[in-house]
Formats: sequence, C-alpha cells, structure tokens
Amino acid sequence: MANTMPIEYYQQLEEIQAVDFVIDELVLYLDTHPTDQNAIQQYNHFALYSKQIKQKFEESYGPLQKGSVNIRQDYWAWSGPWPWQV
Amino acid sequence: MDQQRERFTPMKSYVPFRGLFDPCPPIGEKYYSTPPNLYVGFQSPNLEQFTPQEALRKGTLWKVFYDYYDNPYKRGGDSGHG
Repeated sequence: MANTMPIEYYQQLEEIQAVDFVIDELVLYLDTHPTDQNAIQQYNHFALYSKQIKQKFEESYGPLQKGSVNIRQDYWAWSGPWPWQV
Repeated sequence: MDQQRERFTPMKSYVPFRGLFDPCPPIGEKYYSTPPNLYVGFQSPNLEQFTPQEALRKGTLWKVFYDYYDNPYKRGGDSGHG
C-alpha cells in the first residue's frame, strides 16, 4: 500500500525547482552584467513568482525550509515526506 | 554574432604517446569536452533562453551554452574529432 503524495505536490515542487533554477542562473549572470535591465526585470519577475508559488505550496503541504511559517497553530508541522523521501 | 562563428566541436580527442617498452595496454584515444562557454567569451545580453522547465533539465538557461554529453568511450569511440 504505497503512501505517496498527490500529483499536484510533485507538479508544484517541480515548478518551484524550475523557477529557482532560473533565479540562480540570472543571479550568476547579473553578477557580471549589473546593468542589463532586461535581466533585472526578468529576475524580479521570477523572484516574486517564486515567493508566490512557495507560499501556495506551504499552505497546502507544509513548510519548505527552516524558517518557513508554521501553518498550523496547534501542531509543529515538520512532518514527512522528508526531501530524500520525495 | 552566433551565425558567423563556425561550428565548434563539443568534444575533442588526442592519442597519447606510447613508448615501445610501455608495459601497459595502449590507451588508444582519449577525449576531452570543449563546452560552448570556451568559445562564447563574455556573454552578450538578451541571448535566446529555454523555458524554465526546459532549462532545469538542460542545465542552463541560455540555449547557446547547452552542451549535451555523450560518453565517447561508450559510443564505440568515434566522436566528433577536434
């Protein structure tokens, strides 16, 4: 009896991974091209978008990283699946 | 800028010297990767990009830097010679 997460969990997680990858790439690019306004605009767009999808993910599946807001007031929401179980 | 650049080979190879009295079996051909970033130099702005999902799988955001690795040692050894 497999105990796996719903498909949306993986879809949202992949979306977060893709967006964060783009952010990392743009950070490295902008370090050497500080005046590239298009890249800055794209970076800001993805940075905001990343915050939104992470918030949406955390509301339904629990905290993503240390320091995330604990959704539930009555219970410490750090429970599985742990990253290595995903 | 990209068009004029002649196509470069992403993989090059050489045959190491082997002496007459070399006890080890001949290595034959050795390969080394020459990714696009060696040829692009300082990155120009507004290069063409992959979609985020695609970029995550390809390992780079910009199409010009994509470097597919295909193990030459496994592929019968005949890769794009430099």
